[in-house]
Amino acid sequence: MIRSWSGQRRREAALRGLVLAIAVGIVLLPLIWTMLAAVGIQPDNHTSPPSWVVRPSLDHLADVSTIEPAFWQELATSVGLSVGAAVVAVTLSFLAAYGIARPGRRAARRLNPALLVLATLPAMAYVLPLRDVVRRFGLLDTIPGILLAEVAATAPLAVYVFIAHLAGGSRDREEAAGIDGASPLQILRDVVLPDAASIVAATTIVLIVLDWNFLLTPLVLTGINVRTLPVVLTDLFTLEREVDWPTAAAALTISFVPLVALIGLLHRVVERFNLAGGDPSGDAT
Amino acid sequence: MRLTRLERLILVGPLGIVIAVWLVIPALLGLLATLTNYAPNEPFIHLVGLRNYELIFADRTFASAIRTIAVFTVAAVPLELVVGFSLAFLLRRPFRGRSLVRLILLLPWLVSPVASGVMWHFVLDSETGFLSFVGRWFGLPSLPSPLSQHALALPTVIGVEAWRVAPLVAFLLLPSLATIPRERWDDACLDGLSEFGSIRHVALPAIRPSVLAVTMLLIGGALATFDSVLTMTGGGPGTETVTPALYSYDKAFAFSNWPVGATSGWLIGGAVLLAGVVYLRLTRTDS
Repeated sequence: MIRSWSGQRRREAALRGLVLAIAVGIVLLPLIWTMLAAVGIQPDNHTSPPSWVVRPSLDHLADVSTIEPAFWQELATSVGLSVGAAVVAVTLSFLAAYGIARPGRRAARRLNPALLVLATLPAMAYVLPLRDVVRRFGLLDTIPGILLAEVAATAPLAVYVFIAHLAGGSRDREEAAGIDGASPLQILRDVVLPDAASIVAATTIVLIVLDWNFLLTPLVLTGINVRTLPVVLTDLFTLEREVDWPTAAAALTISFVPLVALIGLLHRVVERFNLAGGDPSGDAT
Repeated sequence: MRLTRLERLILVGPLGIVIAVWLVIPALLGLLATLTNYAPNEPFIHLVGLRNYELIFADRTFASAIRTIAVFTVAAVPLELVVGFSLAFLLRRPFRGRSLVRLILLLPWLVSPVASGVMWHFVLDSETGFLSFVGRWFGLPSLPSPLSQHALALPTVIGVEAWRVAPLVAFLLLPSLATIPRERWDDACLDGLSEFGSIRHVALPAIRPSVLAVTMLLIGGALATFDSVLTMTGGGPGTETVTPALYSYDKAFAFSNWPVGATSGWLIGGAVLLAGVVYLRLTRTDS
């Protein structure tokens, strides 16, 4: 019985390994194909069987700033804007979530699914009038204009996650601090925030990725002064500038680097992100 | 710890103002705009009734966009859910290298839809792509990109989107799966349940709220599909992969027809809100 059990376990592990290896292969194939082209290694599909043209070089990476002279500045804008918008959204969302979750669990449970629906509202439904609103505030084509738009778009998701976390946790320590005479602000700072540090950090990273990937909002709200990387990539590949594949691959590779570095360094943190609100650190084994 | 009304106002107010001014009011203005001749710098805005809607529904490109997004949503969302859940299920137990696999599976989500569109455009191209490369090994002539063929363009776009989104679904569902106690899996095993039986009777009931939330996010994302299609196919070949969001953007910015652009944009918003109503009803039933 025990032997057949362990045999079944081994077969399951082998099958799991096979399926995950295929999944990893499918995920990595286009990314590796792109990175190889970026450093001058490309297939030659004119021969049969096909061959590889191997001319390793970093020239294509340098070419990116030739076809788009402001590329590095635009990369810096994207980094600053994504981090800034995520930090502002998380800060405001955490305060709001605390204000919503603390009157009572029933209010939080009722409001929270509606916040998720708001988080899914497509930008196309509001971005055209938003351009007019932002113009009237004198913020068109400015960092604050686009930053606030990204905060408004991502904050509902952050509030949803924080409410789920706050509504699910124990309030004993908060009650005890309240009895000891701590003000709500002190309780928020000294009790609630430290308890929620991991979900706050994970949500910040998730929002950085979402902000980094926004296209439609910056495309409509920016122009000459502020340009984010997705807008630049769209311009490069939709305005018939006929960028060749190695240069395109180089631009794509550079655009991957900041987020891959962020997640590579902080993947343990981002693994704590949980839509349902609990702490996933206690893995079932 | 109960908060006073003033304290709640101070906590919720700042974000409430940002969301109201930068999201809710523009969305309501957008809805209003569908009934007017609204456009930037339009000096005389007046009601036009349902004329914008009539124009859109008479447009064959929009009808094609609706068909495309319906097929896209019905195919992509279940595909992403099934693949994402399967990956999360396989990753729920610790094993050597799990952390690295989770990290690698997160990579497609880090690729912006715009970058994903550009990348796959070239990776599937006959000159620079992978399919032709494999075909040449078997002595086949260079294969044209599936993105350039009427019958294959939409399925390919769906596949590419699943490549980008399914690993994210795994990332979002895994925490909920990981919180199911081991004893429940063992009990299911002792009860003689198969792997599918465990999924049906143990996993799915336990993670239902997360599955509903992720489904809502996927439907919202699918209906609003824009960026990846813009750079991958530009809506072609013909109008084969035009989505309502792409149609809306084109009308507003390429043809300067803001009333029609805003109206079709709001129809996407309306479809998402409709899905949201279903989601709210399901979550209310649960609670």
